Amino acid sequence: MNSVASILLGGMASGMVLFIVSVGLSVTMGLMGFVNLAHGAFAMLGGYAIVLSMRHWGLPFPAALLFGFASVAALSAVLERLLYARLYRAGELDQVLFTIGLVFVTIAAVTLAIGPETQTVVLPAWLRGQTDLGFMQYRTYSLALIAAGSALMVALWFGFERTRIGARIRAAVDNRRMAQSMGVDVGRLFTLTFAFGSGLAAVGGGLGAEILGLDPQYPLRYLAYFLIVVAVGGMGRVNGVFFAALLIGVLDFVLKIYFPKGGTLFIYALTLILLLARPHGLFGKRGVA
Amino acid sequence: MSAAILETRNLCMSFGALEVARGVNFRLERGARHALIGPNGAGKTTFVNLLTGLLRPSRGSVLLEGEDVTALAQAKRVKRGISRTFQINQLFRGLTVQENVGIAVSERLGVGGSMLRPAGKRADVIAEASRLIEMLKLGEDAGRRVAELPYGRQRLVEIAIALGLNPRVLLLDEPAAGIPSAESHILLDAIATLPAEIAVLIIEHDMDLVFRFAERITVLVSGAILAEGAPAEIAVNREVRSVYLGSALDA
Amino acid sequence: MSAALELTRRHQLKWWEALPWIVALAAFLAFPTYLAFGTQLLITILFALSLDLVLGYAGIVTLGHAAFFGAGAYTAGMMAMHWGWNEPISGLFAAALVAGAIGLASGLVLLRTHGLTLLMLTLCTMALLEQAANMGAAWTGGFDGMPGLSFGKILGLFGFDVLYFRSQYLYVLAVLFLCFVIVRTLVYSSFGQSLTGIRENVLRMHAVGAPVRARQVLVYTVSAALAGVAGALFTQATGYANLAVLGLERSAGVLIVLILGGYGRLYGAFVGAVAYMLIEDVLAKAYPTAWQLGLGLTLIAVALFARNGVIGLFDALRRRLAGAAR
Repeated sequence: MNSVASILLGGMASGMVLFIVSVGLSVTMGLMGFVNLAHGAFAMLGGYAIVLSMRHWGLPFPAALLFGFASVAALSAVLERLLYARLYRAGELDQVLFTIGLVFVTIAAVTLAIGPETQTVVLPAWLRGQTDLGFMQYRTYSLALIAAGSALMVALWFGFERTRIGARIRAAVDNRRMAQSMGVDVGRLFTLTFAFGSGLAAVGGGLGAEILGLDPQYPLRYLAYFLIVVAVGGMGRVNGVFFAALLIGVLDFVLKIYFPKGGTLFIYALTLILLLARPHGLFGKRGVA
Repeated sequence: MSAAILETRNLCMSFGALEVARGVNFRLERGARHALIGPNGAGKTTFVNLLTGLLRPSRGSVLLEGEDVTALAQAKRVKRGISRTFQINQLFRGLTVQENVGIAVSERLGVGGSMLRPAGKRADVIAEASRLIEMLKLGEDAGRRVAELPYGRQRLVEIAIALGLNPRVLLLDEPAAGIPSAESHILLDAIATLPAEIAVLIIEHDMDLVFRFAERITVLVSGAILAEGAPAEIAVNREVRSVYLGSALDA
Repeated sequence: MSAALELTRRHQLKWWEALPWIVALAAFLAFPTYLAFGTQLLITILFALSLDLVLGYAGIVTLGHAAFFGAGAYTAGMMAMHWGWNEPISGLFAAALVAGAIGLASGLVLLRTHGLTLLMLTLCTMALLEQAANMGAAWTGGFDGMPGLSFGKILGLFGFDVLYFRSQYLYVLAVLFLCFVIVRTLVYSSFGQSLTGIRENVLRMHAVGAPVRARQVLVYTVSAALAGVAGALFTQATGYANLAVLGLERSAGVLIVLILGGYGRLYGAFVGAVAYMLIEDVLAKAYPTAWQLGLGLTLIAVALFARNGVIGLFDALRRRLAGAAR
């Protein structure tokens, strides 16, 4: 029983990291209809910002997370205004090319500036060790991740459903032209959402450094996972991404233990089947496909 | 009474809570010159989408020559003789006018899928496309990319494509919209020279064009037919005047 | 009618179309020690041509085309290794058949979707094949692949020259020529024209009565078969097949080739392959990180400014000069 629980918790923890990183991608893809394959690069940059600020400036962990969020959000806002915005009307192919190019540039830049080694995060004392859950002991950090991810999900849900800006974002996701004609400044909305989503990815990159690792190849290695989570969860659906991330996280964790060789194959096959049955994702909107 | 060439029976369609077609019973006779008018948001374009198969109704049926085509996809209905223009041009913008019309003619002649013979060797396709281009006075633009043309001329290309399909039923969604008044006679001439056997349904806001063209008018309001009849009857129909025509006729 | 005339002339052979082949033959004579590189170049051109059919002409954006390259490579390899069947030309046909079959099956299923979903599914399909190849080590050699394959004589006459690649080069050139004729015929046919229609405006194609899905699946299948031939040529020429014939890197590589040279234009594959492989050979070995940086910057620049690649730039220049002359 305990081993089942520990596997479940372990899977949920990595699922949470996937969620935190991918939710920004889901919203911006749903909002802007833009295929951003470079999203993982923002996560990586955030991870590096967090790790390095802790190591060289001695920032405590929470402050480092904030720094990672802010710095990557700012950078991505600049990129969005200068470069991304020029490609909103472009075809899929151009968007794919641009973002893959961006990934290559980021990987190369980080390799040149810092080096190809994996970076490790030194967790603060209060996140290390184990916590007593009553029926078992479990890694404190993983539990903290689960808590943080859930809190984020609730906060985002609240933000989307209850605030004005959330309503504007939802309206623009559902029907951009109509939202525009109702006076929503879509351009600014894009920039804000993009920056926020990238910032979240940055935090996810740092939080997940323990679980997913952190090295220059990160954006390419996990690209498929982020895309799968978004595609399966449905673009622009926060709760969809949440459950998809949990599903993929747990599945991947279980498969790594029991079928180390064939596990990934199963995930790809499952994604294939899911997307064929529901092209808009498990929770995506139904409509003219 | 002869069978209508195109007919809907109790056609219903809703987007969520919004009903855009409410039990529409519509008949388009052979060789008709029929206009569909109504205020913005009445559901006219939606109706055309239902006729052509771009949308599936929640209830009701569409019959072409007495045959139920409600379940048929767009492309199949085109093969049975329905052709349409879109309210917003749907053209192959990166291709030339000649190629645009040529593609439609190729499909109609059934050679669109031919993989061996070069398209350039199909004299019949090229000749027919050129004929349509001449008819719509697009001759000097034939070699230009559609994206480079002014909107009004693009509109004419849209019509050329629809005609290139040699339809038995032609549905024109606001064909005059965007065509400068200096060139609108080209459109009128083209419609006037259509073979008499083709049934033509026009959606239009330009009342001048409607009353000059139509032998029969249907008024659609909020997804349901408000009135139907000869132009003279519609013009004096009090309900229609109050809902829609009003100022347009008094002017 | 000049527009109509232009259309009737388009498919006719122009004088400069002989150039690539003349250059290829001249290279054979002039660079006898670089034929291994030349063979790889020709194989890349064939692979890029197959992708151009699907991407450049039909507008189907896929990141998983290496699945078919790999299928062809492994078919040729497995036939040689497990059944002792190493006759090259029949190996090519078998590879085309297998890759085409996979293309047909996946195309029927995947092309029901579009946009990001389609992109994802092409990635998934390729990843699936990659994982299958990895797992089926008994058949495929798993992670290490199948090294040291040897193939029989082409037409029973010309043996593979392991040292200088002489017969490989001419063999691949001949196959490339034949496949190019096929692609060129397709592109200039009415079918090819309808593909550009599908790329430009799918809704309109439906509205002119074209069987859009059938056409897409057909071109996808043909393209897969051609990619399979390229993969088989790779295995036959080099004597090995491993996981690198599948995977994102190979898919991305051929995509970049096409982007550099210009997609939707017959000769884009040629130009792009030469540009990409020359630069890669010079830079990538020496400075892999700088190569990646330069590649990334190039992709960004192309996406933002030069959407039609090198050929597109020339085209735009030519149009501007013609416009200035008017």
